[in-house]
Amino acid sequence: MTHLWDRLAEAKSRLAPVQSKYRVLFENPSDMEAPASVLVPDPNWMAAALAGNVLPPIDTYLRDQNVPDGQPKEHPYAEPVGPMTEEEAIEYLVKKDISPQVWRDYNGNRTIMKIVPVELIPTERNFRNAWKIKQIEEEITA
Amino acid sequence: MSTLNVANISDGADTVETGYVVNGSAKAWVNFNGTGTVAIRDSLNVSSLTDGGAGTYSYTVSNSFANTNFSCQGTSHAVGAAWMLSPQTLADSTSTARFYVVNSAVGASDASQCDGTIQGDLA
Repeated sequence: MTHLWDRLAEAKSRLAPVQSKYRVLFENPSDMEAPASVLVPDPNWMAAALAGNVLPPIDTYLRDQNVPDGQPKEHPYAEPVGPMTEEEAIEYLVKKDISPQVWRDYNGNRTIMKIVPVELIPTERNFRNAWKIKQIEEEITA
Repeated sequence: MSTLNVANISDGADTVETGYVVNGSAKAWVNFNGTGTVAIRDSLNVSSLTDGGAGTYSYTVSNSFANTNFSCQGTSHAVGAAWMLSPQTLADSTSTARFYVVNSAVGASDASQCDGTIQGDLA
């Protein structure tokens, strides 16, 4: 099996980059005073995800999070997965690059993660450190 | 994919061990715009960039490093100003590096041109 880094380098030489139309907003549940973060997918990574046969299964990354420092990891040598849709790629990226305490373990009432179109992210950044995820009250129906 | 298995590389005049080239090459790099709509311009072995606040960014690689002892470097600038960028590895991560961009007044500030590289042993 070709090493993941070699596959990524080969894919970069072959595929046109794809700027995602999505961003992932998230807050740190262990530091609620911190501003909201915005995850920006990499265009070369997104191109590889959409094309398929480059990235390893997401499960290998999750298992590797428990591998002690310096021990062999599974994800560089795993069989690559097939093509994904952009939405599937964003879900994969959330699991890979955002802490599980945000997308898996959080049980609070406050919404701390949202996937949004890039147009909804403000471009005016004068008050960047005050950004929070807008909370929308759940509609209560009888 | 073909593999050249050689101990040295030479241009006829100078010779260098292959290990110098392999170990000295950047295993990940990124160039991004940290203002307005924050976006990555180009990269290698990067899966995402996280905008964590004014002048605060981190990026995560696709192929992790073998341990947390990798080395990251970076530069940044904005129109009319050369700002200091402070790269930082995280003690508990083999896949993420963080940047702090500081302006001449020693305040966190966004920069339009940020660049980072990482050298280290791949997992």
